[in-house]
Amino acid sequence: MILGRVVGQVWATRRDPRLARTKLLVVRPHGFYEPPLGTRHLVATDEVHAGIGDEVVVCLGKPARESLGSNDTPVDAAILGVVDRVDLDEERLSPAGAAPGIRRPLAAAVVSAGRR
Amino acid sequence: MIRGTVLGQVWAARRSRGLDGRKLVLVAARDADGAATGGVVVAVDTLDARTGEDVTVAFGSGARNVLRPGAENRDLLCDAAVAAIVEGAG
Repeated sequence: MILGRVVGQVWATRRDPRLARTKLLVVRPHGFYEPPLGTRHLVATDEVHAGIGDEVVVCLGKPARESLGSNDTPVDAAILGVVDRVDLDEERLSPAGAAPGIRRPLAAAVVSAGRR
Repeated sequence: MIRGTVLGQVWAARRSRGLDGRKLVLVAARDADGAATGGVVVAVDTLDARTGEDVTVAFGSGARNVLRPGAENRDLLCDAAVAAIVEGAG
């Protein structure tokens, strides 16, 4: 799974019937994960009622596809949880090259929340 | 599977059914020489790995077998899970 932030929602009336009533959110991944085609975002199904601005955990691939109850849904990303807090061992993040993409976006918001 | 080091824990009260009560950890990936690659992944942890411990992470639909083995695990939203806590590697 990867961490990301919800930055938008997709509205679509005409859609694959297997996606009926499925909420689709736009997620910008934190860290090293690069979505295909250089889009810097991915569209994920949401069953946990995430909203714009939430930090979320996104499941990719086959488990995401099968999350809607069948094996043939046109889905490859699904939000599985809304992040409340991330506890990080900051000493492990300090060596150069360790988790560069996680450090910056999460440092301000999430790490400080972990200290509360 | 990959090797990595546990960086910390992710707390998420609102989560998919089937993952209730499961611990989520952040794991920094390591390359074959043991150096951090900069890649970070969130994995389900059933083995109670602690921060700083070396672990192996299983990816893909096989990761669901860590939570619930067998064909009846298709409802689980999990594509990465801690499969082992590494004590040593040659």
